[in-house]
Amino acid sequence: MRFTFICREKLSKAGSRVAIIGAGPAGLGAAGYLACRGYEVEVYDKLPLPGGLMVFAIPPWRISKDAVLNGAKELEESFGVKFILKTKVYLGNVVRRDEGDDFIEKIMPLDKLIDEYDAVIVATGTWESKLPKLPGVESRGVTTALAYLYKHRIYELGLTSRRPGDGERVIVIGGGHSAIDAAEQALNNGSYPYLVYRRTIKEAPAGVYEFMKAASAGINVIELASPMEIVAEGGIVKGVKFQRMKLGSLDETGRPKPIPIPGSEFFIEADAVIFATGEVATPPFNINEEGILNKLNIRVSKEGNIEVLKEGLSINQRVYVAGDVARGPSRIGPALGMGLQVARKVDYILQARAGKLALVAR
Amino acid sequence: MSDLTQVEKYIRVIDLAKCIGCGSCEAVCEFLYGTPFIKVYRTSMGLDIPISCMHCRKAPCIEVCPTGAMIRDSTGAVYVIPSKCIGCLACLYACPFSIPELDHRSRAAIKCDLCRDLRNKALDPACVAICPTGALIYGFEKEVFTLAKLRTAESIAKARYELASWRT
Ligand SMILES: Cc1cc2nc3c(=O)[nH]c(=O)nc-3n(C[C@H](O)[C@H](O)[C@H](O)COP(=O)(O)OP(=O)(O)OC[C@H]3O[C@@H](n4cnc5c(N)ncnc54)[C@H](O)[C@@H]3O)c2cc1C
Repeated sequence: MRFTFICREKLSKAGSRVAIIGAGPAGLGAAGYLACRGYEVEVYDKLPLPGGLMVFAIPPWRISKDAVLNGAKELEESFGVKFILKTKVYLGNVVRRDEGDDFIEKIMPLDKLIDEYDAVIVATGTWESKLPKLPGVESRGVTTALAYLYKHRIYELGLTSRRPGDGERVIVIGGGHSAIDAAEQALNNGSYPYLVYRRTIKEAPAGVYEFMKAASAGINVIELASPMEIVAEGGIVKGVKFQRMKLGSLDETGRPKPIPIPGSEFFIEADAVIFATGEVATPPFNINEEGILNKLNIRVSKEGNIEVLKEGLSINQRVYVAGDVARGPSRIGPALGMGLQVARKVDYILQARAGKLALVAR
Repeated sequence: MSDLTQVEKYIRVIDLAKCIGCGSCEAVCEFLYGTPFIKVYRTSMGLDIPISCMHCRKAPCIEVCPTGAMIRDSTGAVYVIPSKCIGCLACLYACPFSIPELDHRSRAAIKCDLCRDLRNKALDPACVAICPTGALIYGFEKEVFTLAKLRTAESIAKARYELASWRT
Protein backbone atom coordinates (compact mmCIF):
# COMPACT_ATOMS: atom_id res chain seq x y z
CA MET A 1 0.00 0.00 0.00
CA ARG A 2 1.68 3.16 -1.17
CA PHE A 3 0.20 5.93 0.99
CA THR A 4 2.32 8.51 -0.81
CA PHE A 5 0.80 7.68 -4.19
CA ILE A 6 0.73 11.37 -5.21
CA CYS A 7 4.45 12.02 -4.99
CA ARG A 8 7.88 10.51 -5.41
CA GLU A 9 9.50 12.53 -2.71
CA LYS A 10 8.72 15.01 -0.01
CA LEU A 11 8.04 18.61 -1.07
CA SER A 12 10.40 21.14 0.43
CA LYS A 13 9.58 21.68 4.08
CA ALA A 14 6.19 23.20 4.84
CA GLY A 15 7.45 24.07 8.29
CA SER A 16 4.39 22.84 10.15
CA ARG A 17 4.00 19.81 12.36
CA VAL A 18 1.00 17.54 12.34
CA ALA A 19 0.22 14.79 14.83
CA ILE A 20 -1.93 11.89 13.73
CA ILE A 21 -3.48 9.62 16.32
CA GLY A 22 -4.10 6.14 14.97
CA ALA A 23 -2.16 4.34 12.24
CA GLY A 24 -5.06 2.61 10.49
CA PRO A 25 -5.99 3.36 6.86
CA ALA A 26 -7.40 6.78 7.81
CA GLY A 27 -4.30 7.86 9.73
CA LEU A 28 -1.82 6.41 7.23
CA GLY A 29 -3.67 7.96 4.28
CA ALA A 30 -3.52 11.36 5.99
CA ALA A 31 0.15 10.82 6.84
CA GLY A 32 0.97 10.00 3.21
CA TYR A 33 -0.71 13.10 1.83
CA LEU A 34 0.80 15.45 4.41
CA ALA A 35 4.26 13.92 4.04
CA CYS A 36 4.06 14.55 0.29
CA ARG A 37 3.07 18.13 1.03
CA GLY A 38 6.20 18.60 3.10
CA TYR A 39 4.79 18.46 6.61
CA GLU A 40 6.57 17.02 9.56
CA VAL A 41 4.26 14.17 10.45
CA GLU A 42 4.25 12.17 13.67
CA VAL A 43 1.89 9.23 14.04
CA TYR A 44 0.89 7.95 17.47
CA ASP A 45 -0.49 4.46 17.95
CA LYS A 46 -1.13 2.34 20.99
CA LEU A 47 -0.11 -0.85 19.18
CA PRO A 48 3.48 -1.98 18.53
CA LEU A 49 3.03 -1.79 14.74
CA PRO A 50 1.13 0.50 12.38
CA GLY A 51 -1.76 -0.73 10.22
CA GLY A 52 -4.77 -0.67 12.54
CA LEU A 53 -7.41 -3.30 11.86
CA MET A 54 -5.70 -4.20 8.56
CA VAL A 55 -2.81 -5.68 10.54
CA PHE A 56 -4.42 -6.48 13.89
CA ALA A 57 -7.79 -7.96 12.89
CA ILE A 58 -8.31 -8.75 9.21
CA PRO A 59 -6.97 -12.26 8.48
CA PRO A 60 -3.89 -12.67 6.28
CA TRP A 61 -5.87 -14.58 3.64
CA ARG A 62 -7.67 -11.31 2.90
CA ILE A 63 -4.88 -8.77 3.27
CA SER A 64 -1.21 -9.50 3.61
CA LYS A 65 0.21 -7.66 6.60
CA ASP A 66 3.42 -7.07 4.65
CA ALA A 67 1.67 -4.94 2.05
CA VAL A 68 0.44 -2.63 4.80
CA LEU A 69 3.64 -2.67 6.87
CA ASN A 70 5.78 -1.95 3.80
CA GLY A 71 3.60 1.07 3.07
CA ALA A 72 4.17 2.34 6.60
CA LYS A 73 7.88 1.60 6.34
CA GLU A 74 8.12 3.69 3.20
CA LEU A 75 6.45 6.58 5.05
CA GLU A 76 9.03 6.25 7.76
CA GLU A 77 12.16 5.67 5.70
CA SER A 78 11.58 7.79 2.60
CA PHE A 79 9.32 10.51 3.95
CA GLY A 80 10.55 10.99 7.48
CA VAL A 81 7.21 10.18 9.10
CA LYS A 82 7.83 9.36 12.74
CA PHE A 83 5.88 6.54 14.36
CA ILE A 84 5.44 6.80 18.09
CA LEU A 85 4.12 3.39 18.99
CA LYS A 86 2.88 1.68 22.14
CA THR A 87 1.59 5.10 23.12
CA LYS A 88 -2.04 5.72 23.92
CA VAL A 89 -3.26 9.25 23.51
CA TYR A 90 -5.99 10.16 25.95
CA LEU A 91 -7.66 13.01 27.76
CA GLY A 92 -9.79 12.33 30.82
CA ASN A 93 -9.50 11.71 34.50
CA VAL A 94 -9.42 7.95 34.21
CA VAL A 95 -7.97 6.37 31.08
CA ARG A 96 -10.68 4.28 29.42
CA ARG A 97 -9.74 0.69 28.69
CA ASP A 98 -10.34 -0.27 25.05
CA GLU A 99 -9.59 -3.46 23.16
CA GLY A 100 -6.00 -3.80 21.96
CA ASP A 101 -4.59 -1.89 24.95
CA ASP A 102 -2.15 -4.66 25.95
CA PHE A 103 1.01 -3.12 24.56
CA ILE A 104 0.72 0.41 25.91
CA GLU A 105 3.87 1.68 27.59
CA LYS A 106 3.00 5.33 27.73
CA ILE A 107 -0.06 7.57 27.97
CA MET A 108 0.17 10.84 26.07
CA PRO A 109 -2.33 13.54 27.04
CA LEU A 110 -4.31 14.78 24.03
CA ASP A 111 -4.18 18.42 25.14
CA LYS A 112 -0.40 18.26 25.15
CA LEU A 113 -0.45 17.24 21.47
CA ILE A 114 -2.90 20.03 20.69
CA ASP A 115 -0.47 22.51 22.25
CA GLU A 116 2.63 21.12 20.59
CA TYR A 117 1.47 20.57 17.01
CA ASP A 118 -0.07 22.84 14.42
CA ALA A 119 -2.83 20.33 13.85
CA VAL A 120 -3.97 17.03 15.35
CA ILE A 121 -5.86 14.41 13.33
CA VAL A 122 -7.80 11.88 15.38
CA ALA A 123 -8.12 8.54 13.55
CA THR A 124 -8.51 6.06 16.38
CA GLY A 125 -11.16 3.80 14.85
CA THR A 126 -13.61 1.58 16.69
CA TRP A 127 -11.74 -0.49 19.26
CA GLU A 128 -14.61 -1.49 21.50
CA SER A 129 -17.01 -4.25 20.55
CA LYS A 130 -20.68 -4.27 21.40
CA LEU A 131 -21.87 -7.21 23.44
CA PRO A 132 -25.61 -7.78 23.71
CA LYS A 133 -27.05 -7.71 27.22
CA LEU A 134 -27.85 -11.39 27.56
CA PRO A 135 -27.84 -13.60 30.62
CA GLY A 136 -24.48 -15.35 30.91
CA VAL A 137 -22.67 -13.01 28.51
CA GLU A 138 -19.90 -12.43 31.09
CA SER A 139 -19.01 -16.16 31.16
CA ARG A 140 -15.55 -17.42 30.31
CA GLY A 141 -15.42 -18.44 26.67
CA VAL A 142 -17.48 -15.50 25.44
CA THR A 143 -15.50 -13.11 23.31
CA THR A 144 -15.84 -10.62 20.46
CA ALA A 145 -14.78 -11.00 16.83
CA LEU A 146 -12.28 -8.19 17.23
CA ALA A 147 -10.71 -9.70 20.37
CA TYR A 148 -10.69 -13.17 18.79
CA LEU A 149 -9.04 -12.11 15.53
CA TYR A 150 -6.65 -9.74 17.32
CA LYS A 151 -5.42 -12.65 19.45
CA HIS A 152 -4.54 -14.58 16.30
CA ARG A 153 -2.86 -11.62 14.63
CA ILE A 154 -0.59 -10.81 17.57
CA TYR A 155 0.39 -14.47 17.77
CA GLU A 156 1.26 -14.55 14.05
CA LEU A 157 3.27 -11.36 14.46
CA GLY A 158 5.27 -12.92 17.25
CA LEU A 159 4.02 -10.32 19.73
CA THR A 160 2.82 -12.98 22.13
CA SER A 161 3.89 -16.54 22.70
CA ARG A 162 0.39 -17.46 23.81
CA ARG A 163 -1.11 -19.65 21.13
CA PRO A 164 -4.79 -18.87 20.73
CA GLY A 165 -6.71 -21.94 21.80
CA ASP A 166 -10.45 -21.76 21.75
CA GLY A 167 -11.80 -25.26 22.11
CA GLU A 168 -13.33 -27.40 19.48
CA ARG A 169 -16.82 -26.06 19.32
CA VAL A 170 -17.19 -22.45 18.26
CA ILE A 171 -20.29 -20.36 17.66
CA VAL A 172 -20.01 -17.03 15.85
CA ILE A 173 -22.96 -14.65 16.02
CA GLY A 174 -23.37 -11.88 13.45
CA GLY A 175 -23.78 -11.11 9.76
CA GLY A 176 -20.96 -8.77 8.80
CA HIS A 177 -17.41 -9.15 7.54
CA SER A 178 -16.05 -9.63 11.04
CA ALA A 179 -18.47 -12.53 11.60
CA ILE A 180 -17.27 -14.20 8.39
CA ASP A 181 -13.65 -13.56 9.30
CA ALA A 182 -14.08 -14.98 12.82
CA ALA A 183 -15.85 -18.07 11.48
CA GLU A 184 -13.17 -18.60 8.83
CA GLN A 185 -10.53 -18.20 11.52
CA ALA A 186 -12.19 -20.88 13.62
CA LEU A 187 -12.45 -23.14 10.58
CA ASN A 188 -8.79 -22.51 9.90
CA ASN A 189 -8.05 -23.64 13.46
CA GLY A 190 -9.63 -26.96 12.70
CA SER A 191 -13.10 -26.55 14.15
CA TYR A 192 -16.40 -26.62 12.27
CA PRO A 193 -17.96 -23.47 13.66
CA TYR A 194 -21.56 -22.38 13.66
CA LEU A 195 -22.29 -19.00 12.15
CA VAL A 196 -25.64 -17.71 13.32
CA TYR A 197 -27.42 -14.66 11.91
CA ARG A 198 -30.80 -13.31 12.95
CA ARG A 199 -32.02 -12.39 9.48
CA THR A 200 -31.45 -14.37 6.26
CA ILE A 201 -28.15 -14.19 4.42
CA LYS A 202 -29.91 -12.06 1.81
CA GLU A 203 -30.01 -9.25 4.37
CA ALA A 204 -26.54 -9.91 5.79
CA PRO A 205 -24.08 -7.00 5.46
CA ALA A 206 -21.33 -9.41 4.35
CA GLY A 207 -23.56 -10.54 1.47
CA VAL A 208 -24.87 -13.82 0.11
CA TYR A 209 -21.64 -14.68 -1.65
CA GLU A 210 -19.49 -14.65 1.50
CA PHE A 211 -22.05 -16.74 3.38
CA MET A 212 -22.33 -19.31 0.59
CA LYS A 213 -18.56 -19.53 0.43
CA ALA A 214 -18.41 -20.00 4.20
CA ALA A 215 -21.06 -22.72 4.05
CA SER A 216 -19.29 -24.62 1.30
CA ALA A 217 -16.02 -24.44 3.23
CA GLY A 218 -17.62 -26.29 6.14
CA ILE A 219 -19.07 -23.54 8.32
CA ASN A 220 -22.54 -24.35 9.66
CA VAL A 221 -24.58 -21.34 8.66
CA ILE A 222 -27.84 -20.87 10.56
CA GLU A 223 -30.18 -18.13 9.46
CA LEU A 224 -33.08 -16.57 11.32
CA ALA A 225 -31.92 -17.29 14.84
CA SER A 226 -30.99 -14.98 17.69
CA PRO A 227 -29.26 -15.78 21.00
CA MET A 228 -31.42 -15.63 24.16
CA GLU A 229 -28.98 -16.82 26.78
CA ILE A 230 -25.39 -17.95 27.16
CA VAL A 231 -25.59 -21.16 29.15
CA ALA A 232 -22.68 -21.56 31.52
CA GLU A 233 -21.59 -23.90 34.28
CA GLY A 234 -19.31 -22.59 36.98
CA GLY A 235 -18.83 -19.43 34.92
CA ILE A 236 -17.64 -21.36 31.87
CA VAL A 237 -19.58 -21.43 28.61
CA LYS A 238 -21.46 -24.61 27.81
CA GLY A 239 -23.46 -23.36 24.87
CA VAL A 240 -26.03 -20.90 23.62
CA LYS A 241 -29.81 -20.97 23.76
CA PHE A 242 -31.23 -19.53 20.55
CA GLN A 243 -34.67 -18.57 19.39
CA ARG A 244 -35.91 -18.79 15.82
CA MET A 245 -36.87 -15.60 14.03
CA LYS A 246 -39.13 -14.65 11.16
CA LEU A 247 -38.89 -11.53 9.05
CA GLY A 248 -41.34 -8.72 9.65
CA SER A 249 -41.85 -5.31 8.11
CA LEU A 250 -38.93 -3.03 7.25
CA ASP A 251 -37.17 -1.30 10.14
CA GLU A 252 -35.34 2.05 10.21
CA THR A 253 -32.32 0.51 8.43
CA GLY A 254 -34.56 -0.54 5.54
CA ARG A 255 -34.19 -4.23 6.30
CA PRO A 256 -36.95 -6.57 7.44
CA LYS A 257 -37.14 -6.71 11.19
CA PRO A 258 -36.44 -10.10 12.77
CA ILE A 259 -39.36 -11.14 15.00
CA PRO A 260 -38.96 -13.93 17.58
CA ILE A 261 -41.09 -17.05 17.14
CA PRO A 262 -42.35 -18.08 20.59
CA GLY A 263 -41.61 -21.66 21.61
CA SER A 264 -38.89 -22.08 18.99
CA GLU A 265 -35.91 -22.22 21.36
CA PHE A 266 -33.02 -24.52 20.58
CA PHE A 267 -29.61 -25.13 22.11
CA ILE A 268 -26.13 -25.48 20.59
CA GLU A 269 -23.22 -26.69 22.68
CA ALA A 270 -20.00 -24.68 22.53
CA ASP A 271 -16.72 -23.90 24.28
CA ALA A 272 -16.34 -20.53 22.61
CA VAL A 273 -18.96 -17.97 21.68
CA ILE A 274 -17.87 -15.08 19.49
CA PHE A 275 -20.05 -12.02 19.11
CA ALA A 276 -19.52 -10.14 15.88
CA THR A 277 -22.26 -7.64 16.59
CA GLY A 278 -20.55 -4.36 15.84
CA GLU A 279 -17.97 -2.03 17.28
CA VAL A 280 -18.19 1.52 18.61
CA ALA A 281 -15.96 4.56 18.16
CA THR A 282 -13.09 4.96 20.62
CA PRO A 283 -11.96 8.60 20.55
CA PRO A 284 -8.88 9.53 22.58
CA PHE A 285 -10.84 11.32 25.28
CA ASN A 286 -13.59 10.62 27.77
CA ILE A 287 -16.86 11.19 25.95
CA ASN A 288 -18.72 11.45 29.24
CA GLU A 289 -16.81 14.39 30.64
CA GLU A 290 -18.66 17.56 29.65
CA GLY A 291 -15.66 19.73 30.42
CA ILE A 292 -13.48 17.86 27.95
CA LEU A 293 -16.04 17.90 25.15
CA ASN A 294 -16.51 21.64 25.61
CA LYS A 295 -12.80 22.27 25.73
CA LEU A 296 -12.27 20.37 22.46
CA ASN A 297 -15.58 21.63 21.09
CA ILE A 298 -16.53 18.13 20.13
CA ARG A 299 -19.94 16.48 20.03
CA VAL A 300 -20.59 12.79 20.30
CA SER A 301 -23.47 11.32 18.32
CA LYS A 302 -26.05 8.85 19.64
CA GLU A 303 -24.08 5.98 18.08
CA GLY A 304 -20.93 7.12 19.87
CA ASN A 305 -19.22 8.51 16.76
CA ILE A 306 -17.50 11.82 17.21
CA GLU A 307 -18.54 14.92 15.39
CA VAL A 308 -16.34 17.94 15.39
CA LEU A 309 -18.11 21.20 14.94
CA LYS A 310 -17.56 23.36 11.87
CA GLU A 311 -16.58 21.07 8.99
CA GLY A 312 -14.43 18.62 10.83
CA LEU A 313 -12.45 21.02 12.94
CA SER A 314 -12.81 22.17 16.51
CA ILE A 315 -12.98 25.65 17.97
CA ASN A 316 -9.24 25.91 18.41
CA GLN A 317 -8.96 24.83 14.75
CA ARG A 318 -6.40 22.24 15.62
CA VAL A 319 -8.33 18.99 16.04
CA TYR A 320 -9.65 17.03 13.08
CA VAL A 321 -11.34 13.65 12.89
CA ALA A 322 -11.12 10.96 10.20
CA GLY A 323 -12.09 7.36 9.56
CA ASP A 324 -14.28 5.01 11.53
CA VAL A 325 -13.97 6.98 14.77
CA ALA A 326 -15.94 9.71 12.99
CA ARG A 327 -18.42 7.66 11.01
CA GLY A 328 -18.63 4.31 12.75
CA PRO A 329 -17.50 0.94 11.36
CA SER A 330 -17.08 1.06 7.59
CA ARG A 331 -14.47 -0.34 5.24
CA ILE A 332 -10.83 0.38 4.48
CA GLY A 333 -11.64 2.54 1.44
CA PRO A 334 -14.03 4.99 3.10
CA ALA A 335 -11.71 5.34 6.12
CA LEU A 336 -8.70 5.94 3.85
CA GLY A 337 -10.69 8.40 1.72
CA MET A 338 -11.76 10.43 4.74
CA GLY A 339 -8.17 10.48 6.01
CA LEU A 340 -7.08 11.94 2.67
CA GLN A 341 -9.87 14.53 2.55
CA VAL A 342 -9.17 15.68 6.09
CA ALA A 343 -5.44 15.88 5.37
CA ARG A 344 -6.15 18.11 2.39
CA LYS A 345 -8.29 20.34 4.60
CA VAL A 346 -5.50 20.54 7.18
CA ASP A 347 -3.08 21.52 4.41
CA TYR A 348 -5.40 24.32 3.20
CA ILE A 349 -5.96 25.67 6.66
CA LEU A 350 -2.33 25.58 7.69
CA GLN A 351 -1.33 27.25 4.44
CA ALA A 352 -3.97 29.93 4.95
CA ARG A 353 -2.83 30.40 8.51
CA ALA A 354 0.77 30.75 7.38
CA GLY A 355 -0.32 33.27 4.71
CA LYS A 356 -2.13 35.35 7.28
CA LEU A 357 0.85 35.31 9.58
CA ALA A 358 3.06 36.48 6.76
CA LEU A 359 0.69 39.41 6.10
CA VAL A 360 0.78 40.42 9.73
CA ALA A 361 4.54 40.20 9.77
CA ARG A 362 4.81 42.52 6.79
CA MET B 1 -9.26 7.37 -37.19
CA SER B 2 -7.56 4.04 -36.93
CA ASP B 3 -6.16 2.98 -33.60
CA LEU B 4 -3.31 0.64 -34.35
CA THR B 5 -1.29 -0.59 -31.44
CA GLN B 6 1.46 -2.91 -32.48
CA VAL B 7 4.03 -1.91 -29.91
CA GLU B 8 3.93 -3.51 -26.50
CA LYS B 9 2.00 -1.31 -24.11
CA TYR B 10 1.24 -1.02 -20.45
CA ILE B 11 -1.87 -2.71 -19.16
CA ARG B 12 -3.90 -2.81 -15.96
CA VAL B 13 -5.85 -5.89 -14.97
CA ILE B 14 -7.99 -6.56 -11.91
CA ASP B 15 -7.42 -9.92 -10.24
CA LEU B 16 -10.87 -10.67 -8.85
CA ALA B 17 -9.50 -13.63 -6.91
CA LYS B 18 -7.50 -11.18 -4.80
CA CYS B 19 -9.98 -8.29 -4.57
CA ILE B 20 -11.82 -8.06 -1.24
CA GLY B 21 -13.97 -5.09 -2.24
CA CYS B 22 -12.44 -2.76 0.37
CA GLY B 23 -12.89 0.31 -1.83
CA SER B 24 -9.36 1.74 -1.44
CA CYS B 25 -8.99 2.16 -5.22
CA GLU B 26 -12.27 4.02 -5.39
CA ALA B 27 -11.32 6.23 -2.43
CA VAL B 28 -8.00 7.42 -3.86
CA CYS B 29 -9.52 7.94 -7.30
CA GLU B 30 -12.37 10.00 -5.92
CA PHE B 31 -9.89 11.96 -3.80
CA LEU B 32 -7.82 12.84 -6.88
CA TYR B 33 -10.57 13.49 -9.42
CA GLY B 34 -13.68 14.34 -7.42
CA THR B 35 -15.52 11.41 -8.96
CA PRO B 36 -14.21 7.85 -8.89
CA PHE B 37 -13.23 6.36 -12.26
CA ILE B 38 -12.82 2.99 -10.59
CA LYS B 39 -15.72 2.05 -8.40
CA VAL B 40 -16.62 -1.03 -6.39
CA TYR B 41 -20.17 -2.22 -7.01
CA ARG B 42 -22.09 -4.40 -4.59
CA THR B 43 -23.86 -6.93 -6.78
CA SER B 44 -27.12 -8.75 -5.99
CA MET B 45 -25.05 -11.80 -5.00
CA GLY B 46 -23.24 -9.67 -2.47
CA LEU B 47 -19.97 -9.96 -4.32
CA ASP B 48 -18.18 -6.64 -4.69
CA ILE B 49 -16.84 -5.98 -8.18
CA PRO B 50 -14.60 -3.05 -9.11
CA ILE B 51 -15.44 -1.54 -12.49
CA SER B 52 -13.19 0.75 -14.50
CA CYS B 53 -12.11 1.37 -18.07
CA MET B 54 -10.42 -1.62 -19.68
CA HIS B 55 -8.38 0.56 -22.04
CA CYS B 56 -9.36 -1.83 -24.86
CA ARG B 57 -6.75 -2.49 -27.48
CA LYS B 58 -9.39 -2.10 -30.19
CA ALA B 59 -11.32 0.60 -28.40
CA PRO B 60 -14.82 1.20 -29.81
CA CYS B 61 -14.94 4.57 -28.04
CA ILE B 62 -11.94 5.80 -30.05
CA GLU B 63 -13.40 4.46 -33.30
CA VAL B 64 -16.77 6.08 -32.75
CA CYS B 65 -15.64 9.48 -31.45
CA PRO B 66 -16.62 12.04 -34.12
CA THR B 67 -14.15 14.73 -33.05
CA GLY B 68 -11.02 12.75 -32.24
CA ALA B 69 -11.32 13.70 -28.59
CA MET B 70 -11.00 10.11 -27.43
CA ILE B 71 -7.46 8.98 -28.07
CA ARG B 72 -4.74 6.68 -26.83
CA ASP B 73 -1.47 7.83 -25.32
CA SER B 74 1.89 6.25 -26.10
CA THR B 75 1.68 3.89 -23.13
CA GLY B 76 -1.67 2.47 -24.22
CA ALA B 77 -4.06 4.37 -21.96
CA VAL B 78 -7.26 5.66 -23.57
CA TYR B 79 -8.15 9.21 -22.54
CA VAL B 80 -10.25 12.24 -23.47
CA ILE B 81 -9.04 15.64 -24.63
CA PRO B 82 -11.78 17.80 -23.08
CA SER B 83 -11.30 20.75 -25.46
CA LYS B 84 -12.05 18.51 -28.44
CA CYS B 85 -14.99 16.68 -26.85
CA ILE B 86 -18.53 17.80 -27.71
CA GLY B 87 -20.17 15.71 -24.98
CA CYS B 88 -22.25 13.62 -27.43
CA LEU B 89 -21.49 10.44 -25.48
CA ALA B 90 -21.19 8.32 -28.61
CA CYS B 91 -18.33 6.75 -26.65
CA LEU B 92 -20.73 5.64 -23.92
CA TYR B 93 -23.06 4.06 -26.49
CA ALA B 94 -20.13 2.27 -28.08
CA CYS B 95 -18.57 1.09 -24.84
CA PRO B 96 -19.54 -2.49 -23.92
CA PHE B 97 -18.81 -1.69 -20.26
CA SER B 98 -20.71 1.64 -20.05
CA ILE B 99 -17.61 3.42 -18.82
CA PRO B 100 -17.63 7.06 -20.05
CA GLU B 101 -19.49 9.65 -17.98
CA LEU B 102 -20.27 13.30 -18.53
CA ASP B 103 -18.59 16.04 -16.55
CA HIS B 104 -21.13 18.73 -15.83
CA ARG B 105 -18.72 21.60 -15.67
CA SER B 106 -16.69 20.96 -18.82
CA ARG B 107 -19.62 19.16 -20.54
CA ALA B 108 -17.06 16.70 -21.85
CA ALA B 109 -16.83 12.95 -21.48
CA ILE B 110 -14.69 11.83 -18.55
CA LYS B 111 -13.15 8.47 -17.74
CA CYS B 112 -10.12 6.76 -16.28
CA ASP B 113 -6.84 7.80 -17.93
CA LEU B 114 -4.74 5.56 -15.67
CA CYS B 115 -3.59 8.71 -13.83
CA ARG B 116 -1.78 10.44 -16.70
CA ASP B 117 -0.48 13.18 -14.42
CA LEU B 118 0.95 10.74 -11.92
CA ARG B 119 2.44 8.58 -14.66
CA ASN B 120 4.12 11.64 -16.14
CA LYS B 121 5.88 11.93 -12.80
CA ALA B 122 6.93 8.27 -13.10
CA LEU B 123 4.35 7.19 -10.52
CA ASP B 124 1.89 4.32 -10.82
CA PRO B 125 -1.84 4.87 -11.22
CA ALA B 126 -3.15 5.68 -7.73
CA CYS B 127 -5.50 2.67 -7.56
CA VAL B 128 -2.59 0.33 -8.30
CA ALA B 129 -0.31 2.03 -5.77
CA ILE B 130 -2.83 1.83 -2.93
CA CYS B 131 -4.47 -1.59 -3.44
CA PRO B 132 -3.76 -3.50 -0.20
CA THR B 133 -4.25 -6.95 -1.75
CA GLY B 134 -2.30 -6.61 -4.97
CA ALA B 135 -5.51 -7.17 -6.93
CA LEU B 136 -4.67 -4.35 -9.31
CA ILE B 137 -1.75 -5.20 -11.54
CA TYR B 138 -0.19 -2.64 -13.84
CA GLY B 139 2.86 -2.99 -16.04
CA PHE B 140 4.09 -4.07 -19.44
CA GLU B 141 1.67 -6.47 -21.08
CA LYS B 142 4.05 -9.39 -21.00
CA GLU B 143 4.90 -8.90 -17.33
CA VAL B 144 1.25 -8.62 -16.39
CA PHE B 145 0.25 -11.71 -18.35
CA THR B 146 3.11 -13.65 -16.79
CA LEU B 147 2.27 -12.53 -13.27
CA ALA B 148 -1.38 -13.45 -13.79
CA LYS B 149 -0.44 -16.96 -14.87
CA LEU B 150 2.06 -17.28 -12.07
CA ARG B 151 -0.77 -16.56 -9.63
CA THR B 152 -2.88 -19.25 -11.25
CA ALA B 153 0.03 -21.67 -10.91
CA GLU B 154 0.40 -20.74 -7.24
CA SER B 155 -3.26 -21.33 -6.51
CA ILE B 156 -3.25 -24.68 -8.29
CA ALA B 157 -0.13 -25.67 -6.34
CA LYS B 158 -1.80 -24.62 -3.10
CA ALA B 159 -4.87 -26.71 -3.86
CA ARG B 160 -2.70 -29.75 -4.70
CA TYR B 161 -0.68 -29.21 -1.53
CA GLU B 162 -3.79 -29.01 0.63
CA LEU B 163 -5.17 -32.12 -0.99
CA ALA B 164 -1.90 -33.95 -0.35
CA SER B 165 -1.66 -32.89 3.30
CA TRP B 166 -5.32 -33.76 3.80
CA ARG B 167 -4.75 -37.31 2.55
CA THR B 168 -1.90 -38.01 4.99
C1 LIG C 1 -12.78 -8.32 11.81
C2 LIG C 1 -12.85 -7.22 10.82
C3 LIG C 1 -12.81 -7.51 9.47
C4 LIG C 1 -12.87 -6.50 8.53
N1 LIG C 1 -12.79 -6.83 7.22
C5 LIG C 1 -12.79 -5.85 6.30
C6 LIG C 1 -12.68 -6.16 4.92
O1 LIG C 1 -12.57 -7.31 4.53
N2 LIG C 1 -12.69 -5.13 4.03
C7 LIG C 1 -12.80 -3.84 4.44
O2 LIG C 1 -12.77 -2.93 3.59
N3 LIG C 1 -12.92 -3.52 5.74
C8 LIG C 1 -12.92 -4.49 6.67
N4 LIG C 1 -13.05 -4.16 7.99
C9 LIG C 1 -13.23 -2.74 8.37
C10 LIG C 1 -11.92 -1.94 8.31
O3 LIG C 1 -10.91 -2.66 8.94
C11 LIG C 1 -12.11 -0.59 9.01
O4 LIG C 1 -13.21 0.08 8.44
C12 LIG C 1 -10.88 0.32 8.88
O5 LIG C 1 -9.71 -0.34 9.32
C13 LIG C 1 -11.05 1.60 9.67
O6 LIG C 1 -9.89 2.39 9.55
P1 LIG C 1 -9.49 3.48 10.65
O7 LIG C 1 -8.19 4.02 10.21
O8 LIG C 1 -10.60 4.42 10.85
O9 LIG C 1 -9.35 2.68 12.02
P2 LIG C 1 -8.42 1.44 12.50
O10 LIG C 1 -8.00 0.59 11.36
O11 LIG C 1 -9.15 0.81 13.60
O12 LIG C 1 -7.13 2.15 13.09
C14 LIG C 1 -7.19 2.89 14.28
C15 LIG C 1 -5.82 2.88 14.94
O13 LIG C 1 -5.85 3.76 16.06
C16 LIG C 1 -5.16 3.16 17.14
N5 LIG C 1 -5.70 3.74 18.38
C17 LIG C 1 -6.96 3.61 18.86
N6 LIG C 1 -7.11 4.35 19.98
C18 LIG C 1 -5.92 4.95 20.20
C19 LIG C 1 -5.46 5.86 21.21
N7 LIG C 1 -6.25 6.30 22.19
N8 LIG C 1 -4.17 6.28 21.16
C20 LIG C 1 -3.34 5.84 20.17
N9 LIG C 1 -3.74 5.00 19.19
C21 LIG C 1 -5.02 4.57 19.21
C22 LIG C 1 -5.41 1.70 16.98
O14 LIG C 1 -4.39 0.96 17.61
C23 LIG C 1 -5.40 1.53 15.46
O15 LIG C 1 -4.10 1.24 14.99
C24 LIG C 1 -13.01 -5.16 8.96
C25 LIG C 1 -13.07 -4.87 10.33
C26 LIG C 1 -13.00 -5.88 11.26
C27 LIG C 1 -13.08 -5.54 12.72
